Amino acid sequence: METERRAKPSFACVDRRAFVAGSAAAAAWLASGRRALSDAKTGIDAATWTPSYITSIAGTVDIDTRAECAKVVPLDYKGRLTYWWNGTNQASPDIDKKFEAEFFQAFSETYPNIEIEKQNLDYNQMLDKLRTAALGNAAPMAARLPILWGVEFAAKGQLQEFSPADVGYPVEDYWPGAMKSVAWQRKTYGVPTNNETMGFIWNAALFKAAGLDPEKAPPTWADVVAYSKTIKDKTGKNGFGLVARANAGNTPFRFMPQIWANGGGALDEADDHPTYKKILLDSDGTKLSLQQIVDMYVRDRSAPASALTNTQTENEDPFLAGNLAMMIGHPLEFAYMLDHAKKATGADKPIADAVVADMRYGQMPMGKARRAVVFGGSNVHVFKPDVVDSGKVDTMAAKAFIAFLTGPEWSTKLSWDSSNPSNLRGFKSVWMKQRLAQIKFLDVTTSMLPYGIPFPVVPESAEIMNIVVPEMMQNVLTQKMSVADASAAAAKRVKDLIGEL
Amino acid sequence: MATGVDRKAASGTPRLRAPLLQRVWLHRVDYLYVAPALGVMLLVIAYPVYYTITLSFFKTSPSLAMADSAFVGFDNYATVLASDSFRDTTMNTAIWTFFSTLVSFALGFGAALALDREFVGRGVLRGLLLVPYVVSAVAASYVWRWIYHSDYGVIGALATALHLTDRPINFLDNTHTALASLIVVNIWKEFPFAMIMMLAGLQTVPEHLHRAAMVDGAGPWHRFWHVTAPHLRGVSVVTLLLMAVANLNSFTIPWIMTGGGPAGSSDIWITQVYQIAFGRVRFGLASAYSVILFAAMMALGVAYVRALGGAKSARAE
Repeated sequence: METERRAKPSFACVDRRAFVAGSAAAAAWLASGRRALSDAKTGIDAATWTPSYITSIAGTVDIDTRAECAKVVPLDYKGRLTYWWNGTNQASPDIDKKFEAEFFQAFSETYPNIEIEKQNLDYNQMLDKLRTAALGNAAPMAARLPILWGVEFAAKGQLQEFSPADVGYPVEDYWPGAMKSVAWQRKTYGVPTNNETMGFIWNAALFKAAGLDPEKAPPTWADVVAYSKTIKDKTGKNGFGLVARANAGNTPFRFMPQIWANGGGALDEADDHPTYKKILLDSDGTKLSLQQIVDMYVRDRSAPASALTNTQTENEDPFLAGNLAMMIGHPLEFAYMLDHAKKATGADKPIADAVVADMRYGQMPMGKARRAVVFGGSNVHVFKPDVVDSGKVDTMAAKAFIAFLTGPEWSTKLSWDSSNPSNLRGFKSVWMKQRLAQIKFLDVTTSMLPYGIPFPVVPESAEIMNIVVPEMMQNVLTQKMSVADASAAAAKRVKDLIGEL
Repeated sequence: MATGVDRKAASGTPRLRAPLLQRVWLHRVDYLYVAPALGVMLLVIAYPVYYTITLSFFKTSPSLAMADSAFVGFDNYATVLASDSFRDTTMNTAIWTFFSTLVSFALGFGAALALDREFVGRGVLRGLLLVPYVVSAVAASYVWRWIYHSDYGVIGALATALHLTDRPINFLDNTHTALASLIVVNIWKEFPFAMIMMLAGLQTVPEHLHRAAMVDGAGPWHRFWHVTAPHLRGVSVVTLLLMAVANLNSFTIPWIMTGGGPAGSSDIWITQVYQIAFGRVRFGLASAYSVILFAAMMALGVAYVRALGGAKSARAE
């Protein structure tokens, strides 16, 4: 339950009713299919969702999660749920591990008679495991999946129709772009749990040592290439933390913004009205982006040599050690650096502390066409009984769990330093206010939300993004192919793929 | 269970083969003993093999529902065999299997010969050399990734510290060195197996033959070549075949260390099959690939069974 605590003049435009009215496009889309929603890629108004606006609405409503969930499923409901998700691991910041543990504890206190059998899976292995499990009728009843994956399972007919309305939340409590990611052929197959965009991160001390303005991010992608070379030449340290490992989700999340910024794409997902029928992997914008990474990796040798086997995880320690100047990441990276700097010992300690102090966040660089970033996040889905281990899905238990998970409280707490609440009322909660005070640079990454572009909402998306795009990058970075040949080969693969499935 | 027919054969009398049904009846208890194992094998091996072969003739839907699948005959096989990636991957697989097997065997054999001699600390050394074999392949792969790391790896750091190179060596992010680097790791992991097998083989070489050869004035090389080596022929062939099969099936090290990259330079059959099936969700195509791999394995399997027979004959002699 929520009650407006105070209403500032600037908050008038985000009054609940006004917000509902302003989100009419989203509601209309739900009635008319995906084309209407795709009109406004994410539905996030850049003029509204500014850092100051986000700060102004934080802490303006009270949330009673228990009461909200009780309206969906009685608190004494007895049941069982199997649940898979990609959660924290050993390297995660302590605060994330704490909130994750508290979440399950709070759920078991709210629903003491619902038994949860949970599996926390590694990000790079979860998709293959879930695909195999679903084919072997051993899928969990519910799973929280990265935004890119759900539509594939929906297209295979393995997911149940499930929408925020099923757990008592109006659709307009979620960004239209997030709702688009859970939709397939005019039906809704999940509830968003969190949504985020990344920012551009740099080490101000290395910028200064290289003679660059330490307080300004490179304005364009062409500048990133130039800065990277300057840093390598002047300091001997690696400039841009390129990530090009194949079959790893980190890779498209960092390269697609560059492609989109330069006017390219995989399909036409960056267009205002995407059809997902045009292939842009061989466009000039994509080729320019490929040439830029070739310039950094091959010509200037200013990106880590290990980029071809690196995920973002492998960039973190070099950055903390002051050996890498620039990378793309969530606010989570700051939490990681802070956490690991605290744990550093000996000679590493002052270096790590200095890097934390010199860490800066800015908006992603512009390209020839736009400023862009991946509109990321996760959604929770419910599988059909015939692909679930026991052949049965405890729908009430799933509803209780998803209501708890996607409500304003836990969608805020579980994305504390890495994302944003999917449930927009989370932005108005007291926990959002705490986050803004506690998590440095959150305002910067959140201000990137209006530039967010969702990955194509097609079942082939995971293959295009995790395999075709990284292999295209590897083909040029290893000089196995020219930029033109690699982009043409990738475009042909996608053409065959779209035609084949 | 020994039979009259077997005893006759063993005693050197002319071999008279009884009719099939009679022989089956004579061995009825043997069949009962192996029936449970045979049942399990049929369940966990025969059915998947049958299913894989069936799938290989279909263009499958991502949901694997056969109702949505289309029979395409040998199209999947034609697609696999005609693809550029198959040619490259086959070459990688051949290089991977050949060098991993041969070098592991040579090192293992050398280590076995050294450890067969009496010297102080032999037991400790045997234990130490077994460590790579008992270490989890997953853990070993991650450790080696960091040893090889192209920016901060131990080898690269040593090479630059010793002024052997001016920058860290790019092992895994280079199409020319990735596969060779993986083979080195595989050899490190596999050679203790060859060592154990050959040590066991060396225990079977009769000591009195060595002594007789020494009396006849044979030097170490002649004793090895004319006494030791002939006795090890059978175990060597079996070891080489087992290692070849294991290497052909080896997935963990290449998958974890490079995922088949960069740009497919360390992709081998098994990683390609996995990628096609679970990364690209083409189960029909992956099944055709698997059947090709299965045929290669079966060829090695037949060779293994024949070698086992040869080894028995060699021991009998």
